[in-house]
Amino acid sequence: MSVPRGAVHAKWIVGKVIGTKMQKTAKVRVTRLVLDPYLLKFFNKRKTYFAHDPLQQCVVGDIVLLKALPERKSKHVKHELAEIVFKVGNVIDPITGKPCAGTRFLENLSDSENLTEADTTYLSEKLQELKVCSTDK
Amino acid sequence: MPMKGRFPVRRTLQYLSQGDIVFKSSVKVMTVNYNTAGELSEGARKFVFFNIPQIQYKNPWVQIMLFRNMTPSPFLRFYLDNGEQVLVDVEDKTNKEIIEHVKKILGKSKEMLEKEERERKKLSHPATFGPKKYHLRECMCEIEGQVPCPALVPLPKEMRGKYKAAMKNEA
Repeated sequence: MSVPRGAVHAKWIVGKVIGTKMQKTAKVRVTRLVLDPYLLKFFNKRKTYFAHDPLQQCVVGDIVLLKALPERKSKHVKHELAEIVFKVGNVIDPITGKPCAGTRFLENLSDSENLTEADTTYLSEKLQELKVCSTDK
Repeated sequence: MPMKGRFPVRRTLQYLSQGDIVFKSSVKVMTVNYNTAGELSEGARKFVFFNIPQIQYKNPWVQIMLFRNMTPSPFLRFYLDNGEQVLVDVEDKTNKEIIEHVKKILGKSKEMLEKEERERKKLSHPATFGPKKYHLRECMCEIEGQVPCPALVPLPKEMRGKYKAAMKNEA
């Protein structure tokens, strides 16, 4: 009888860190959508897992990805920290790779500071052409 | 007496079972990041409102997490069993386009679903009788054209054991 990986059912889970008071362990809250049998609506059901975090790099409020350990580390710890998906206060947008907060980017996206001379002359010529078109009308 | 809520059809079993997407067994977690305001996120919002219940109903063991207003651009992220992550940008896509795309990249194909359906059918034999949980019918009396259940309609004299035994004793 071989248990290749995970003495526990959940192999990979994503959750939010709610406590880091334990040494090298993070308390993570995981929510799953569970169907209410009468209302037929999905509600979030929470469960807390303990994850091994050797470098103690989690802060309360991080969103983390946990990976199941091959055998449990202690009575309650059956997962380890695989990756911090979103660090609290320092969210990086995965599409652009830039830091952001809420629905706006923190740094300026346009690269107007890095334009060369040729680019600026080209752009100003284009703008002149547009001005000419509008006065014709 | 109408159902409560904005689109209560989402809360019917028929609607939930109409979901197309059945994920491959390697998909473990699905994360949706979307914004509550803005035109670009409209498709993502519709996807969350209408299609997430269907997906979760068909895939009860996939963890689905929703994040609102964390990043300016909406996206989906899937975490697979081998550690791989799939990022799907859904900015400026409609509801239907998102479903089609996800079905194409991570959904089980129609042939696979039909094959699984056939496998499941093979396990149970339709011609046996027994408890409703494991068989189609419980007794022969349920079938049209067969002798009806004696609990509802008394059997004719000739079929009753009492009469047959009396006849045998007489002869």
